[in-house]
Amino acid sequence: MATLPQLIEEDIRQVDEVLAEFVNQADLLGALIIDKGGFLITHQGNTGDLDLTTIGALASGAFMASQTIAGLVNEKNFNSTFQQGEKFSLYILEVDSECLLAVIFCSATGLGLVKYYGNTAAAAIARQLGLARERNPAGGFDLSMMNLANPGELFRKKI
Amino acid sequence: MAIINQATKELQVKIVYYGPAMGGKTTNLVQVHDHVQTNAGNKGKLVSLATSSDRTLFFDFLPIEAMTIKGFKTKFQLYTVPGQVIYNTTRQLVLRGVDGIVFVADSQFEKMPENVESFQNLVDNLTAQRMSLSEIPYVLQYNKRDLPNAAPMEYMDFLLNNREVQVPSFAGTAHKCEGVFESLNMITRMLLQKFINQSMPQYA
Repeated sequence: MATLPQLIEEDIRQVDEVLAEFVNQADLLGALIIDKGGFLITHQGNTGDLDLTTIGALASGAFMASQTIAGLVNEKNFNSTFQQGEKFSLYILEVDSECLLAVIFCSATGLGLVKYYGNTAAAAIARQLGLARERNPAGGFDLSMMNLANPGELFRKKI
Repeated sequence: MAIINQATKELQVKIVYYGPAMGGKTTNLVQVHDHVQTNAGNKGKLVSLATSSDRTLFFDFLPIEAMTIKGFKTKFQLYTVPGQVIYNTTRQLVLRGVDGIVFVADSQFEKMPENVESFQNLVDNLTAQRMSLSEIPYVLQYNKRDLPNAAPMEYMDFLLNNREVQVPSFAGTAHKCEGVFESLNMITRMLLQKFINQSMPQYA
């Protein structure tokens, strides 16, 4: 199964720069990079106290559902989805085979503007992810310090 | 698969509760949500995409931040799938990127065919995504042990836990929160152990 490449700080910094520029250009509330499995990778914008973890999981599910519908109607790929609200709207764009760009913006903002800058941002992010894939991942993640002898240590029930 | 973000120092892990319809998957998540000890702000909202009759339509979702491992915040995302046979497409979607599975079986004798069918469906859906139960850690929870027509644990092991490698199985009465944390902690332990054995995770 194809996966996200290992992302180092430089990757996240580059992606954040692209997102920040996109947020400014299109006057967005927020822009999120989400793994198609539902994980939030990084985000930019003035999202305040929005629950971005849950938004990421739901946006991924919504997008993947739309892709399945594409298959059912013999369309090769729906590469974006758009939900319009009274105050805010959501646009989700496929970055590459593993990643999505979800955008929250004021409904007064034109979708065309968001799409125009969104395509540029998605391409730049895809390039960065491509570089990460080509890079030989350095350094591992050693969990061996963790005491796994006691599984009750992770989640405890309230008494 | 798990996301290890070196920049934000986060480890994100996805656990999916799988099993036949009305077996207690959503109840497991509700009990975890209601009873887990966490620091303030470390437990997210339980989101349910359900029908008007409270049957899971797409998935339930519960994010929990468990602990810090060597400076990395560990975030768990718990999902359920809809158990009804007709919703197989949504089950496949939810399985994407799964790190560990809790299979919640219904202990009632008359539910055994549904348990076996659902387990085979899990195998098939993982295969469709080029994954397999030999690679993905999973545990079995035999739920509804409080019902008078519950089959013996040994019989359920014979039906569901007879693969080459036997996995941990737990008696559960999810609505009383019995077996819920035992299952969750075991699957967590198993999947973290897998990361340790791999020593170099493939994702970040």
